[in-house]
Amino acid sequence: MSPTLPLLCCAATLAWPGLVSMATAQGTAKAKFPGEVVSAVVVPVPSEIFSVLDKLGEPNWQQEIGHGDLPKTGDRTRLALVFGCVVAEGFVAVQAQDKEAVKDIGRDVMDLATALGLIKSVRPHAQAILDAADQSDWPAIRREFDRTQKTVRDTMDEMRDGDLSQCVSLGGWLRGTASVTSIIGKHFSEDRAELLNQPMLVEHFLGAIDGMAKSTRKHPLLETIRGGLSGTLSEMNAAKGSFSREAVTKIGVTCKASLTAILGR
Amino acid sequence: MRPLAPTLSLLLAVFFMVLPPLAATVDDSHSLAMEAAMPYVEQGFIVREEYWNGEVKSGQLLVIKHQMFKGNEYAFWLGSSNKGVTFDLRVYDEKGEEVSIAGKTAANFSSIRVNPPRTGTYTLTFSLSSAKEKGLYWALAYGYR
Repeated sequence: MSPTLPLLCCAATLAWPGLVSMATAQGTAKAKFPGEVVSAVVVPVPSEIFSVLDKLGEPNWQQEIGHGDLPKTGDRTRLALVFGCVVAEGFVAVQAQDKEAVKDIGRDVMDLATALGLIKSVRPHAQAILDAADQSDWPAIRREFDRTQKTVRDTMDEMRDGDLSQCVSLGGWLRGTASVTSIIGKHFSEDRAELLNQPMLVEHFLGAIDGMAKSTRKHPLLETIRGGLSGTLSEMNAAKGSFSREAVTKIGVTCKASLTAILGR
Repeated sequence: MRPLAPTLSLLLAVFFMVLPPLAATVDDSHSLAMEAAMPYVEQGFIVREEYWNGEVKSGQLLVIKHQMFKGNEYAFWLGSSNKGVTFDLRVYDEKGEEVSIAGKTAANFSSIRVNPPRTGTYTLTFSLSSAKEKGLYWALAYGYR
């Protein structure tokens, strides 16, 4: 084959994000739904789950804020995981309506974006977070945290850093799930515990790690996280949607262990 | 200055010819999905920034697995920048029972609502059909409250 054709295809793919989506839209469909499977997964933001917890009671979100110093590192894999954690922390701070915590997190977002070389894309969002915090505009802050994460992931994907983009999602999911398990543990009920029935998301993250370049996949942090996710998936599959208090605790401990490894605290 | 090789010139020409109309078409589909979302936002739905998009053959069924949480109400908005498209958008639970409630459908978008009976994985299926065009651009977004 002439080298021109692959180059042209590559150029067209770069030029048209839709082609990328369709490239992932090929797959084996289940017999029940004989269509092309779109493999792209949209991971829920923590506030999707937090909003249900709010409807089921009045959690003390202030107690769930775990903001602290950022690890000093130039390791981009770790930075991407930390970035996801920090954005998820932002959703916790919004739920707590803690203006100062939101501002601290907004500044962390800028520092991390600078370390990742993404500050140009992220600065408008981070500034919007700080401005909205001054006005206690919680819906706007929530929207900007979501936009920040999307911008960072899109920019990483454009830079062919898809593995890092997955790390951002993974860090966010771990931080969000740690908060959810903490709240469920303090006010256990079957309805709350059912919120942990997320095996498809855990399978997605396991598949994402397994599909990463070897150098990233073998990163000690991702090996630790992968081990934790495997255990979490077993808990979810065993629970079949009905989680015991012990299962919730186990998932929480596993998420917190991963977060300790990522954040170093 | 050294002239570009003919192959590279051709490559760049195709790149820049392809870029504007195609990118605009995918983005337009998302804009139309957001147009469908507007009345829902007024009712308190929070729109997610991430969404799915692509191109599909007319009539081809597409399938998406998605996590939903019992206690939230969800809305999905499917937009297409192609003209004369008919939409079919549905959501099924893990047993294959349809759980979606039809919402507003207009010339370039369709919407549905879901009150998930359980927390877990749901299957979204959708197709776009056109008598005139074979390839159709689409974007699917969602929100919750």
